[in-house]
Parts: sequence; C-alpha cells; structure tokens
Amino acid sequence: MRKPVGSSKDMIDAERIVFNLIHSKQNMGIWVADIKRETTLPESMIKKSIKNLQTRGEIKEVVNIKNKSRKHYMAASFEPADEVTGGNWYSEGKLDKEYIYELRQACLRYISRSSVASRNGISEFIIKGGCFPGATTAEVDQILENLVLDDEIIEEKSTGYGDYENFPVGRVCYRCKSKGEVGAMASIPCGVCPRINLCSPDDFISPKNCELYQKWLNF
Amino acid sequence: MGSQYGLKFAVHLVTNHFGKIVAKVCETLFRKGPLSLGEIIRCTELTPEQVKNSLLVLVQHNCVQAYVPADQFRDEEESTVTVEYLALFDNVIHRLRFPKFLEIAKRQLDDECEKVLDGLLRDGRLTLKQMVERAVQGKENPGAIEAVVRGSFHKLLKAHYVERCPAPEPVVSTLIKAEPAPRKRGSKMAKKFEAPETIEQRVMEAALPGEAIRFAVIEYTGGNADREANSDDTIMVNVGDNSGGIANEGSILWRANFEEFIRHLRHKLLIENERKRLDDGAATILSAILDATKNVEKKVKIEKSVPLSLDSIFTEVTKNEYGRTMTIDRVRASLVQLGCPQRNLDDSYSIDLKNIVEMARNEEVESIVLKRFGGDAYRIFRLLSKSNCFLETDKIAELAIVDKKEAPRLLYKLWKDNYLHMEKLVVTAAKQSRFMLWKVNKPVLWEYVLDEMYHAALNLSLRLAFEQEKDEDLLHVSRDKLTPTDKSGEVNSVQKRYLRLRDVLFLMGSSLMKLDDALMLFHDF
Repeated sequence: MRKPVGSSKDMIDAERIVFNLIHSKQNMGIWVADIKRETTLPESMIKKSIKNLQTRGEIKEVVNIKNKSRKHYMAASFEPADEVTGGNWYSEGKLDKEYIYELRQACLRYISRSSVASRNGISEFIIKGGCFPGATTAEVDQILENLVLDDEIIEEKSTGYGDYENFPVGRVCYRCKSKGEVGAMASIPCGVCPRINLCSPDDFISPKNCELYQKWLNF
Repeated sequence: MGSQYGLKFAVHLVTNHFGKIVAKVCETLFRKGPLSLGEIIRCTELTPEQVKNSLLVLVQHNCVQAYVPADQFRDEEESTVTVEYLALFDNVIHRLRFPKFLEIAKRQLDDECEKVLDGLLRDGRLTLKQMVERAVQGKENPGAIEAVVRGSFHKLLKAHYVERCPAPEPVVSTLIKAEPAPRKRGSKMAKKFEAPETIEQRVMEAALPGEAIRFAVIEYTGGNADREANSDDTIMVNVGDNSGGIANEGSILWRANFEEFIRHLRHKLLIENERKRLDDGAATILSAILDATKNVEKKVKIEKSVPLSLDSIFTEVTKNEYGRTMTIDRVRASLVQLGCPQRNLDDSYSIDLKNIVEMARNEEVESIVLKRFGGDAYRIFRLLSKSNCFLETDKIAELAIVDKKEAPRLLYKLWKDNYLHMEKLVVTAAKQSRFMLWKVNKPVLWEYVLDEMYHAALNLSLRLAFEQEKDEDLLHVSRDKLTPTDKSGEVNSVQKRYLRLRDVLFLMGSSLMKLDDALMLFHDF
C-alpha cells in the first residue's frame, strides 16, 4: 500500500532512503530516473528529498560526461570517478581544450629548445615550472603520447651517440619531428574526396566534371 | 591479379598505348583468366585476325605470356596442343613507370645505356642485331655507334637491367596440389600456411630462362673493339653446333628486366625512408648492406636483408666517403636503430625490410586519414594502428583525448569508409551492456587503399586527357605565339591558356608519378 505523501515523518524516511541509495553508489553517483526505479518512491517525494539533501550539503549534482542532459547526483563526500567526469581533461562536463592545448605547446617548446628531451626532464619542467599547477606526471605522459600520435614528436630510446650522447643508453627520449611531405594520395583531389566510391568515368560524378579537380586546377 | 580498379587502370593503359581492339583482348584475359585463341575470339566477338594480331602485340610487349597447360596431355588421344594466353597485370602497370626505368639507367650507367633501354621499352623485345640497326639507322659512322651500342648492352646486362626473353610456350601444370593435413592438432610438424602459387606465378616461373642463361651473352666473334666492350664478368656462352640450334645475336630476344628496376626502386625507398626517420648514417649502412647483397636476393619482396657479418657490413660501409667517418661501434648502434639489435645465431645481422615498408604504408594511409577526416580522426586512427588490437569506444576517447561525444561519430565515419573494422560485444551481467570494439585491419585496409589508388590513377589519367583535348587547338598555334614576348609581361588569352595548360599538365603528370610510387609501395614492394 502506498504511503501517503507529505507527512514530515515520510519525508525524513524518504530522504534517508534516497541519501542511502546515492551514498551506496559512491563515486559513480546515480541518475534521477534510476533513483525512482530503485526506490519506488513517488517522483515528487524524490525531488523534494534531493532538494533538501542538496540544501544541507549532503549531496551534490555532477555532470555525467556520457549524458550531460541527465541529472546525476553523488554524496558530497565523494569525488566523481573518471568515468563520470571524463577524467582530468574534462571541466564541468566539457573537454578542456584550452588547457590541453597550452600543455601540449609547453611540452613542444621544451622539446624543440632541447633538440632531444627525456620523459623525466619534460615532466620536471612542466610540474615544477609553475604554469600548470596540479599537473601530474601521468597527465604529462598522456600529453606526450598524444603528441606522438599526432606525429609532432618521435619517441625513441637513446643510443648514447650523437644527439643522444647526454642520455644513458635505453632512456626514453623525445624529439620534434619535422613535417613530412603529404602522402601521394592525399596530395590529389581523389585522396580527400568523400565520394570516391560513387565516382566512375561515365557516371554523374566523374573526373571530367569533378568540382574538387576544378578547384585544384584553378590556378 | 589486380583489384577492380587495378584492372580498369591496366586496360586504360593498354588502350592508350595499343588501341581499343588490343585493349579488348587484354581486358577479356584479365576478367576471364587464361584463355585459348578460340575462346578469346568467342568472348571478344572480334575477328580471328584481329585477335591474333592483338595477341602478337601483347606478347611482343610482354603484356601476355603464352603457355601450354600440361593437364591436356593426360588424354593420350588428344592430338592437338592448345595454347592458352595469360595477361600479365604487373607488366602492364610497369608501362606507366618506363620514364623511371630510363632515369635509373641514365643515372646509374650513362646516356647511351638509356638510349638502348629506350629502344627495348618502346619495341618490347629486340635482338642485339636489331638494337644495333635501330641505333645506326641514318647515322654516319655506324661502326663506332655499333661499338657503343654493344658496350651499353653489356653494361645493362651486367647490371641485370636487361634479360633474355622467356620461353614462348612453356608447358605448365595447372593443377593445384593438395597439401597433406598435419598428423595432429598443434603438431610441431604442422606447416606454416602458405598461399598456393597462382597460375601467373607458375607460368612465369616455367617461362623464365634459368639463372645461368638469363643474363648470359653470346660471344661475339667480330673485331677487337667489340671484345674490349665485353665485360669480363659477363657469362659467355659458346656458340657451337652442340647447342641444338644456332644461338646468335640475330635470334636471341632481349627485353627490359622489370624485376631489377623494381628492386632498385624498392631499395631506394627503404634507404630514403630510413634517412628521413633516422639519419644519414643509418641510410649509409642500409645502402651498403643492400648494395652488397642485391645479386643474391632471391626475390624482390624479401622480408629481411640477406644476413651479413658485422665485418662485411663495415667493409661495405667504408667504401663510401661518409661511411669512412664511422667506427664499428657507430655501425653497431645504427644497426640497433635500424631494428636489428642482436646478431643471428651465426653472428650475422639482418635488417627487417618488411617493417620499413609497413611503416611507409602506414604513413601513406595516415596521410589520407588526416586530409579526409581531420586531426582528431587521425589521432584515433594512429592509436588503433599502433595498438593493433580491438579497443572500446570510451577507451579510445580517453587515450586519444577526444571528446567522448565526438569519438563515436568519428569512429563511425572511419568505419563507413572502410578504414576501420568494428565488432559489437554484448555483455550480460546485472544488466546487458553493449560495447563497440574497433580495430585497424591492416592487410584488408591496404588492399582497399591500393584499389582507391588505382582508381585515383585512372581519374588523373582521364582528367589529363580531358584537359589536353579541351585545348587541342593550341597544338596548331605556332610556338612563338604561345610564349609572351612583350617586355611588359602582359599575356594574351591564347598565351594564358597555353601557360595554364602547361602548368596543369606538369602538375598532373608529376602527381601521377608520385602516385605511382605509392602504387609500388602497396603492390610491388
């Protein structure tokens, strides 16, 4: 039998049930709809409980990176997990592109100035430099891995010779990579064309009437 | 055999060089496989004479190889021998790169060798006598020219850039032998899987002259000047009645050895790629190893360089001016950089050439991804390419630092265009969860990209022809009217069109040559 809504004892019970459920989800938190499904409390009672708990500072609303439009709640004593926030690179549910860009540029500048730089050297420069308070070694490592993926730098092990003579053999080092030539296929219109599968000599889209070719040959 | 657009491009080349009728015969052989003369006539609906002439042209230019299937001899009652014709896809595509072969001959040997090679490429196959006749025609001082031609021919032969033509109609078994099944699962006796030999490989192997005579020259019993022109290293074959036939310079046919040119181009790519990736030292060492071992490479696409001891490598390296500045330790360090950190069991070193080719292929494909799909997609693609395993969507977004909402969209785009392989995983625990897993399947992707490249090469050629046709009238305008002569630099409309056409043809021609390097990278190297 459903409990009547509105009595203060009911509210206290509801708040306790809602709080216990939210608390049990620890740093993952819980979506409002899931609270409703798991507690079977009326929606209005859930809403009021959440409002009261928030006012008292016992729970907080967090942005869930996987679904920013959903209201997601967590006990105030927990820090949201990376799966909820998106990790270090997210701020209020958005990828902090500016921070990432600045950190990348700082790493690139250091490597470029040094010609060859070790992983430890770069981390020390960034963390102790003061421009990025709170930056961690793990974050710097991830930025370096991303710069390798972007082909901006090369990761190599020191041979102890030439540019690497200041680094012990086997030490992980990075150096800037000069921009290579654009590949043969990427240099021509067909290489960038999203319709190449529809193109045929005698078809509606053909090399003779291709707009990309027209632009390319329009000196 | 080529891919869908590979065949279309090959047919396009044959059409341009030999006309539509010959191209029709060639296309029929590409699409239906080896056929007899009667079958070709039926399929093409051309006259017997047209088909015969077309086959003669294609054989002359090494685009078709005739052979006799051995299985027809099982029936003892069969009295007639049926010859079948096989279209050679690789040799047709090589026609695109004749200018590169000529450049190699010119740089490595000299201008005269280039001229002799030019004759062979234009005419398909020639006897030495025909090469001489071709060169002396209408010239004064034929004796001196003849000596130069012979000398150049020997240089080309010594470098293996010229070879004896294959047997005209070798007998070839076309049955594929069944491999015996291994005795037990996981048995140590179980063989590594090797794809069965294609009919093209069998025919070419049967047709090719043995190594002893493939680059063997006939002794010329003419004047002293010619003896001096003959290299001591060239294998000499005695002319005599016991040869079973008179082998002389008027009957032995020679042709350009495409395999050696492709080997040269492959080595060039390997060396230049390592120079860009590492430094001049590493390039010098790799070049020395490849130079020292090129004559003992069993095939072009070897996966590892022929093993050499450190002493042999060092000896080769010091033949080069830059190499003489290197110490043995420096050479050893470069071998590590080249991906050969330790010796083989017999104390020799071997460079992983397949890895260098794969890196070059990766770079080419990544370049396409960057241009076509943008920076974030490029990073995701490289992550998956380097991981060489399945990764889940969120994990990809995390590792590549791409917005978690954006990552699925980019992955889907790459998958839709065949650049990624995707699988769905359903996990049933407290509740059912679906995961999308992504991977770069390199062998499949490279075949797909190669077909796209053939498509692009065909498009470039067609557009080039179209641009030339558009301004065909400029061919009839006298040259002095085409170039601006006015000191003010002003150009009239005809001159503008001419300058534009000149620039367009240069751009597209050079793009096609660059694209051809990529075709070789994915098909021949």
